Amino acid sequence: MEALLLYSAFNGLIVGIFYALMALGLSLILGLNGVINFAHGTFMALGGYVAFTIEPYVGFWGSLVVAPLLCVILGVAVERILIRPLYGRDPLFSLLLTFGLAMIMEDLIRTIWGSIGQPFALPNYLNTPLSNSLFFLTGYRVVLILITALVTGALFAVLRFSRIGIRIRAGNADLETISAMGVNIFFLRAANFGIGIFLAGVAGILAAGQLGLSPSIGSQLIMPSFVAIIVGGVGSLLGSVLGGLIIGIASGITAAFFPVAQEVVIYVIMAVVLVARPRGLFGQEGLFE
Amino acid sequence: MSLTNLVSLKRRGLLRASAAAGMASMVTSQVTWAQSETPVKIGQVDPRTGTYAGLGENQIRGATMAVDELNKKGGILGRPVQLIVEDSQGLPGPAVSKAQKLVSQENVNFLIGSVSSAVSVSLSQFANQHNLVYVDIGGHVDSVTGKDCKWNTFRTCSTTWMETDADFKILFDKFGKKWFFITPDYAFGHALHADYVAQLTKAGGQALGNALAPLGTTDFSSYLIQARAAQPDVLICLQAGDDLVNVLKQAVQFGLNTQMAIAGAQQELEVLEALPPAARLGWWTFEWYWNQPGVPHLEEFVAAYKARYDNKVPTARSWFGYATTHALALAAGQAKSLDSMKVVRAMEGLVLPPEIALQPGKCYYRAGDHQMIANMFPGHVPANATYPNLFEVAQTVPSGTVAKSPDEAGCKLVYPS
Repeated sequence: MEALLLYSAFNGLIVGIFYALMALGLSLILGLNGVINFAHGTFMALGGYVAFTIEPYVGFWGSLVVAPLLCVILGVAVERILIRPLYGRDPLFSLLLTFGLAMIMEDLIRTIWGSIGQPFALPNYLNTPLSNSLFFLTGYRVVLILITALVTGALFAVLRFSRIGIRIRAGNADLETISAMGVNIFFLRAANFGIGIFLAGVAGILAAGQLGLSPSIGSQLIMPSFVAIIVGGVGSLLGSVLGGLIIGIASGITAAFFPVAQEVVIYVIMAVVLVARPRGLFGQEGLFE
Repeated sequence: MSLTNLVSLKRRGLLRASAAAGMASMVTSQVTWAQSETPVKIGQVDPRTGTYAGLGENQIRGATMAVDELNKKGGILGRPVQLIVEDSQGLPGPAVSKAQKLVSQENVNFLIGSVSSAVSVSLSQFANQHNLVYVDIGGHVDSVTGKDCKWNTFRTCSTTWMETDADFKILFDKFGKKWFFITPDYAFGHALHADYVAQLTKAGGQALGNALAPLGTTDFSSYLIQARAAQPDVLICLQAGDDLVNVLKQAVQFGLNTQMAIAGAQQELEVLEALPPAARLGWWTFEWYWNQPGVPHLEEFVAAYKARYDNKVPTARSWFGYATTHALALAAGQAKSLDSMKVVRAMEGLVLPPEIALQPGKCYYRAGDHQMIANMFPGHVPANATYPNLFEVAQTVPSGTVAKSPDEAGCKLVYPS
């Protein structure tokens, strides 16, 4: 019983990692760009597919670096060409734009790579359990946790200590003022969007190794990622990460004891949070209450 | 000023060019048919998105290829054939509303399609209300040609019973009698599970447990952990499409394949192709296979299909779509009519000619329950298999020897008076 609970919580943690990485990027983009990026899931899928295509040339580890960067190039182009004209308008405009973009991109993926899933192969040494008693701890799962910790840590370090990170945080607080102080906010928003897409790309590759790589992989993960932001609190990056992990673990434990409810439980948590503490666990007061 | 003009000029030129191109393509595709001839319309409702998109795509490809062949040879009753495809998303709700659209807006003469059993059941019901001939191409649940059979519904793919019966004996004799199941939680999975358990109990085996996983599950870890704890001889994975890819991939990551045999009923080329090489394993049943040495016309079919569809071999799904479309054309030709009842009577007992059957023996729609009786192809995935040689057929089992009779399946066809 305790063992099953432990295994299930751990499974949930692994799924929660994907939610957390996605939510982190979504949250960044929502903060500075003011865009609810519905295309985030398809950028994630794109990361997985690009990695699948370049893996034979650069290897798994190479693809983990190169594929997200390629996504960033596309992401910044999208921000510059499509999203930029919509800044300052009602957020509904950019929401509809990214919603349509998500559909177009998913169909593009289907056209280029086919609607049948693709075999994204992991290096053999990652694809086996570490030991027989700890069979649920495969090499890949350990790598997943390490990479996520590394990426999240690096992001927080950038935001805390680098010039651009400090500007992003300042822009979140008051965009007009830093603009008046001479900061190029168009560049800043493009950079911020790029960082968000980078996180989506990384999540896509990690997910392609753990789950199957199919065109709809992103749309399966995007809704729980939005929930993660709401649970964690809009405006708080740490909250988004914890929100993702919480709903992942809750869903994992539910899957072991009451499988049909494994998806519902995510939304039940969201409902409870919205009723009891509308700002979310770490959210700023005033956004929703 | 001049800039605006330039842009609008370009835009007009573009519009004109695209209009011309559109006209040209209409003219060329219609070249063999007089304008007055209205086409015979076949409506196909199949998933282009969702878990079963890959499978649906191949059913569409097969049907499209058949329609092109028909149009080259004079169509149906001398009229051109038009295939109108709608996306079901693999879900019953959207499928029925798309079927509704095909009937009310397009006036389709026949309805075909479905990958998911849940969709097949709904479409069969829907077509029955509209007196429309419906052929279930790829939804397997027994009831469609069993207790819920309809006078207007036929089925080309096999039943879940046939899928479990075809490889049950091989699995039982080879690997042992303690089985654990991971089952998709809807009609198709429940039917497969019930059919296997019935045969297992009869043979003196033991079902150790059954983990029900919702359709579209991405993480199967908790079910695999239950399977491992049960320590069965055989782990039966009853998923299909992307779900089967995920469960097999994760089973191998946990090393379950070194502790128990991994097997199941239905396996498909689409799934094996999507798996990384390490997870291509197990004992399964195919419903049709592209490589059957000595079967007449098969090589030509495979070559033509590969030429059309960037060198991919046809799968069972491609054959379902292909054979179904040709069968409808043959039946309409025999009936000399598009009237539903007359076509149904012609379909009953219709034997597919060798160039369409593309497998040994007699392939026909059984009159008693409208179920296609063809062959099952149990076998296993060889080690280090590469596309397209991903399966090794152990034996070709005529479906007639494993299918339940219409009475056993509980089918009583009731015709409108």
